[in-house]
Amino acid sequence: MVDLLFYVAALVAVLTAVGVVLARNPVISVVSLLTCFGSLAVIYLLAGFQFLAAIQILVYGGAIMVLFLFVVMLLNLGGLSPEDEDGDDPLFHDRRRSAGGLAVAVALGSASLIGILRGARHLAEPANGYALPDEGFDALPALAEAMFTRYSLPFEAASVLLLATTVGVMVLAKRQRAVTPAGEKRP
Amino acid sequence: MNPDLIDQYFNAECAAALAPLVTLAGGLLLLIVAEWFEPINRLRPLLFVGSILGAAWAEVALLNTPVPAVLGGTYSADKASAMWGLVFLASTLIAWVHARSYYRKSRPFLGEHDMLLLAAPMGMMMMAGALDLTVFFIGLELLSIPLYCLASFRRDRSESVEAGLKYFVLGAFSVGLFLYGVALVYAATGTLSLTALSEAAAAGFSPMAHVGMAFILGSLLFKLSIWPFHLWVPDVYQGAPTPVTILMATGTKAAALAFTLRITGLLPESSAGLIALLAVLTMAAGNLGALVQSNLKRLLAYSGVAHAGTLLLLVAAQRASGDLSYEATSAALFYMAAYVATAGGAFGLLAWLEADGEHFTQIESLKGLGRRRPGMAAAMTLFLLSLGGIPATGGFLAKWMVFSVTLDAHLTGYAIAGVLMSIIALAYYLRVIVAMYMEPASDHVAPPTAKRTDALVATAICAAAVLLMGILPNVFLGLI
Repeated sequence: MVDLLFYVAALVAVLTAVGVVLARNPVISVVSLLTCFGSLAVIYLLAGFQFLAAIQILVYGGAIMVLFLFVVMLLNLGGLSPEDEDGDDPLFHDRRRSAGGLAVAVALGSASLIGILRGARHLAEPANGYALPDEGFDALPALAEAMFTRYSLPFEAASVLLLATTVGVMVLAKRQRAVTPAGEKRP
Repeated sequence: MNPDLIDQYFNAECAAALAPLVTLAGGLLLLIVAEWFEPINRLRPLLFVGSILGAAWAEVALLNTPVPAVLGGTYSADKASAMWGLVFLASTLIAWVHARSYYRKSRPFLGEHDMLLLAAPMGMMMMAGALDLTVFFIGLELLSIPLYCLASFRRDRSESVEAGLKYFVLGAFSVGLFLYGVALVYAATGTLSLTALSEAAAAGFSPMAHVGMAFILGSLLFKLSIWPFHLWVPDVYQGAPTPVTILMATGTKAAALAFTLRITGLLPESSAGLIALLAVLTMAAGNLGALVQSNLKRLLAYSGVAHAGTLLLLVAAQRASGDLSYEATSAALFYMAAYVATAGGAFGLLAWLEADGEHFTQIESLKGLGRRRPGMAAAMTLFLLSLGGIPATGGFLAKWMVFSVTLDAHLTGYAIAGVLMSIIALAYYLRVIVAMYMEPASDHVAPPTAKRTDALVATAICAAAVLLMGILPNVFLGLI
């Protein structure tokens, strides 16, 4: 049962991920991404990461997706423009290049897959077998302790990072007004 | 929280190790607050220089009393990281001085520009001091995201926007590679700590861990601009505002190199030859690319690629022979310190010339500069000669140290190839010097007139540092 659920979730995750890239309507892309996030949450849950699954749904499935949908709706209310529908798909515009890119992607993917499959055989079975603890692998007390002791530097630096990102986005996105030397703003 | 835990993690050693980062973060917050109050806003330069100098002071204190590992062994403030920190701070300060009059006075968001500029060295320090892949990752982002914004800071120029976008897309791709590699390494070994990983590597990595390390190395080579991951460099360096290019060319490269040297032990022994081959190919790609450039900014970008190749020889040497790690690190530090002074000086002069018009990045427009602005031409000549590795400059000693470490590691063929490449490099550096001194100025180009005290002081200090490193290297080597 668990195995079956995993394979279904994994298949849905891969198919919707491909859909995100291939869909020509941005709304379909966003909805595929949402489904992909959902199936990833199922996989996390099956692997024993309950908190991560909940966060995945709340943050990615909830907040970030709403933001995506907002942006798509605001930017592209009219759907595709006529020239886009001529079959001139920007992704596959240059067939030779996309074939080359695909070849590199397949080569890298299969090389890493071979490494993973060979590596998976070397993985030692944990001492207590594969038994799942009741509170999952990411119980909050342990997570919180790690976050505020061992990983307090990256945790705090992440807040500086978010601050810098906010400022950077504002610099890039805000409409610029010329400021006269006296400090007065004029449009 | 358990008081024992607090003592264990947040003690005096930890405070000393994190002091440079905390100083920069404090300065960054003050810069944001300063935006709201006009009287404080005038002190912005003081705030910026103050935070940099404060962080530098903390790094010097760490040089005397290094802290090998804090926070449960996730961050190290050893002597090498403290030296790297000083290199990053110098690079940021040079970039900032040249940014001061690069933009129009009426340009909005100059306060935000300084703030983003201050976030970058924080990220670099975390990259250089990281003993844990999580710390490195956050540092990498803290460096990259401000740089993406800064690269497209001149939104009125399409080249600048293009540079920012290119840097962002390729940077995001390389971060994706890195995270994929980290996931594989974690799946194979169950740890992200470099100390635990090197124990696991000594016992023998599984193929999955090797694939993961290959991905991690690939993403580092992206940031280091190594062939075949160097294609973004000329466009981004040319398109970005010149002061930002200074930071990208010197600081980012130093940070990526510092971490690459730290993780060489995790790569398979057989990779030394491959890395050395990549180094030689990078030198070839950079030098041959630079030969045909007519734009000095683009030429310096290609020369930066070639220098990255030279530096990668150190990584190969350290991998080939494990007991060379002290020599390799000190050669890397000396090379990057010299490179910050030379490339920072050369790009800085370009930023200065650009005040009179963007066409001054063309070699064509520099003809006759030797008569029109003898001081500027002399400084540019000194920087170009140092980049080319002429004796009596810092660049010569830096190259000599790299090649001698490479020879010690018995990578003789690669060292010879590297020396030959440096000779090719002289051809294009000399072409610029010939244009400045031996060709008559063209009548359509008005001579550059901008007089700037801050840029003059920065250039003079860079030139003095280049000469000092060439003539009295012991002053600098004694620090390492």
